[in-house]
Amino acid sequence: MSVVESETVALQTVGRGPEKPTGRAWPRIRRFMPVIVVAAVLLATWLWVSSLQLDSIEQRTLNADYIVARIREHLVLTVVASVLVAVLAIPFGIAVSRSRSRMFTATVVGIANIGQATPAIGVVILLAIVWQTGFTTALVSLVAYSFLPVLRNTMAGLEQVDPNIVESARGMGMTPWQVLRRVELPLASPVILAGLRTALVFAVGVATVATFINAGGLGDMIINGLKLQRFPVLLVGAVLVAAIAVLIDWLAGLVEEWVRPRGM
Amino acid sequence: MTAPTNTGPFSTANGAVGIELEHVSKVYPGQAQPAVDSFSMTIEPGELVMLVGPSGCGKTTTMKMINRIIEPSSGSIRIDGNDVLSLDPNQLRRHIGYVIQQIGLFPHLTIEDNIATVPRLLGWSKKKTADRVEELLTTVQLDPGTFARRYPRQLSGGQQQRVGVARALAADPPVMLMDEPFGATDPITREKLQAEFLRLQADIGKTIIFVTHDFEEAIKLGDRIAVLGERSRIEQFDTPANILSAPANDYVASFIGQGASLKRLALIPVSEARLAPVATQPSAAQVDIEDNLRDALDLLVLTGGPSIDVSEGGRVVGSIDHAAISAALRATSGAGRVG
Amino acid sequence: MTGFDWHNLIVFLGRRYDDIFELVGEHLLVVLMSVGIALVLGTGIGLLVWNKPITRSVAISTAAVMLTIPSLALLALLSPVLGLGWGPTIVALVFYSLLPIIRNTVVGLREVPLPILESARGVGMGPIRVLFTMQLPIAWPIILAGVRIAVQLTVGIAAIAAYVAGPGLGQYIFKGLSSLGSKNALNYALTGTVSVIILALLLDAVFLLIARYTISRGLK
Repeated sequence: MSVVESETVALQTVGRGPEKPTGRAWPRIRRFMPVIVVAAVLLATWLWVSSLQLDSIEQRTLNADYIVARIREHLVLTVVASVLVAVLAIPFGIAVSRSRSRMFTATVVGIANIGQATPAIGVVILLAIVWQTGFTTALVSLVAYSFLPVLRNTMAGLEQVDPNIVESARGMGMTPWQVLRRVELPLASPVILAGLRTALVFAVGVATVATFINAGGLGDMIINGLKLQRFPVLLVGAVLVAAIAVLIDWLAGLVEEWVRPRGM
Repeated sequence: MTAPTNTGPFSTANGAVGIELEHVSKVYPGQAQPAVDSFSMTIEPGELVMLVGPSGCGKTTTMKMINRIIEPSSGSIRIDGNDVLSLDPNQLRRHIGYVIQQIGLFPHLTIEDNIATVPRLLGWSKKKTADRVEELLTTVQLDPGTFARRYPRQLSGGQQQRVGVARALAADPPVMLMDEPFGATDPITREKLQAEFLRLQADIGKTIIFVTHDFEEAIKLGDRIAVLGERSRIEQFDTPANILSAPANDYVASFIGQGASLKRLALIPVSEARLAPVATQPSAAQVDIEDNLRDALDLLVLTGGPSIDVSEGGRVVGSIDHAAISAALRATSGAGRVG
Repeated sequence: MTGFDWHNLIVFLGRRYDDIFELVGEHLLVVLMSVGIALVLGTGIGLLVWNKPITRSVAISTAAVMLTIPSLALLALLSPVLGLGWGPTIVALVFYSLLPIIRNTVVGLREVPLPILESARGVGMGPIRVLFTMQLPIAWPIILAGVRIAVQLTVGIAAIAAYVAGPGLGQYIFKGLSSLGSKNALNYALTGTVSVIILALLLDAVFLLIARYTISRGLK
């Protein structure tokens, strides 16, 4: 996986908006469609697994304790990484877009481009070799990886604010800090939030790969299922991880809509 | 209109302040010629000064140096005797109304929040702010009940422009800077806005610098007009009537174009002319004493008769003919704009 | 932390350069094949749904959801059916490439301003001709941007596919993992990762060139 360019993400914000088909029930259902589909898939999977005769290996994995533990590991990794990314990348993005130094901005953009081209699995494994395996390494590589979409979207979001509006605000006597807080950030927030949403989805995906460096998570189930040729284990792991990803994306979409300033 | 409550860096008794620019220049790095070259002007309190000139002459740059959106390279600017360059720019701007051509309303805020921006920056109480918002919306002829809670994108261009003006007036600043504020509207809306603006200015009498490239607008609105050439060189700075009757050079004359006298007539009300006694036979048309001489001439030409009647409050009080109109024109030459 | 030995790396590369080139070739091939298939499928779908609001939003939402599914999960799910190696890799990569291409096709076709379409129909062009002579050329830059994004995505995901014996440089990265502790572990992983980065950047540059030479001057 690598970084999706911010334009697409910006497109993502734009594209999801106004076209709602006619009819009053449909938009409501449409909004919950991902949840419905996920619930249906989870139900089907559970039904299918319960109908199977599980051998001892499968039983050790396909029980509530094991699954819940893996889900928890996965979510902890995802959420902690995303919070760290938000706290680090957004202020950094603001600082870069404010910077007068062309050199600095160009360097950052250059590094971002290289970062975008880097495969997630490479980052995870390199870090594990050079440092150590385990949770912390996974966390660091997740943060490093999700940093980019948030950084790029913060910069892009601030850049697309109409300069006339900013001039109006300064002309009225707002200090640069006030302009940032009251005008620029609210107007940039749809794009910034789209970046955070992308970062979250990436985090779920890379957390899956964290299994390779002993960081736990649902990737364990997938890998074990593959290695030991136990399809049910593999299926449950994969379905769960996909479900989590879709749900987190959906939730992030809700937050995006909720936080979006009215009038835009 | 509520009495001016804000003092800020400019403290005056009646709210209007004068502006002095002395040898103000702006040079951009890397450019040989200055954008604005040694601009000097004194603006009286309560005056509406128009800066007219072609695109690129630096008129907007000059205006933007007054509130330091663009910092002057040299020269001094004083408002109410205070050196603008020594004040904190943010404080300064909270006491200057600023309207730009693209309006720049905050799309993510309601109309009332937009207008309340500067009052909130100045720490006004909620009640005072709310009252002021309502007052201003009424003044610019937008019903507060309907418009206060709406968002800019729900308004037409003309309506947005009015909100822009209301926003600039919110904290009741003594000085206003306006850069082609009516430029982005269609001619019909623009005329309405100009008429409303004149009414407003008659009421509140702020000191206003108004930038435009439309000479007709300048004549219609300004107390004094500065015709600007390259690098904001002042070619002529005088009342509309004086400029029309005595353009300083060919450059200024080119702005006026043809029909200078007719344009001057539009500035003179019929009451300024010497009326002849009422004609024995009522004429085919009547002009009101509050109308201007160009309307009178228009009717005279239309009817083809020797004179037309002048009415006041519905009652005919006299008559007017071509000679009287020309006489009035000659009499007001050099006397400044009346009415 | 293992120390970094440049000499060791250079020797390593020297011994394996033909191996590396072969892997680069495989990686490139699998990316191009997958994106190619996705291009045909994606633009096809885009052309079908671009002016039908409901189907359009269903198509785009579905593809968007597909993109959120972690690649390892998808690859693992495909392998019981498609085995290991090229099969699941290509299917998964096509899967992920669909969203950028479909969405950009749709956006690109809708970008064409209505007045232009009207004038084309007004001079008597049939809808197919309008499509090919007006809409696609104008939509092309945006579709190309979508393909570029798809390539970026797939270059990265292809690296993970090595886990299910997929082709390409991911094999070196995973070899680095499996030989953890040995003196060449870092070299494998580093070579694999850096090669992917270089490949991605080069492909991106190629796209810039394609854009420069195929986008009509009037649109730039």
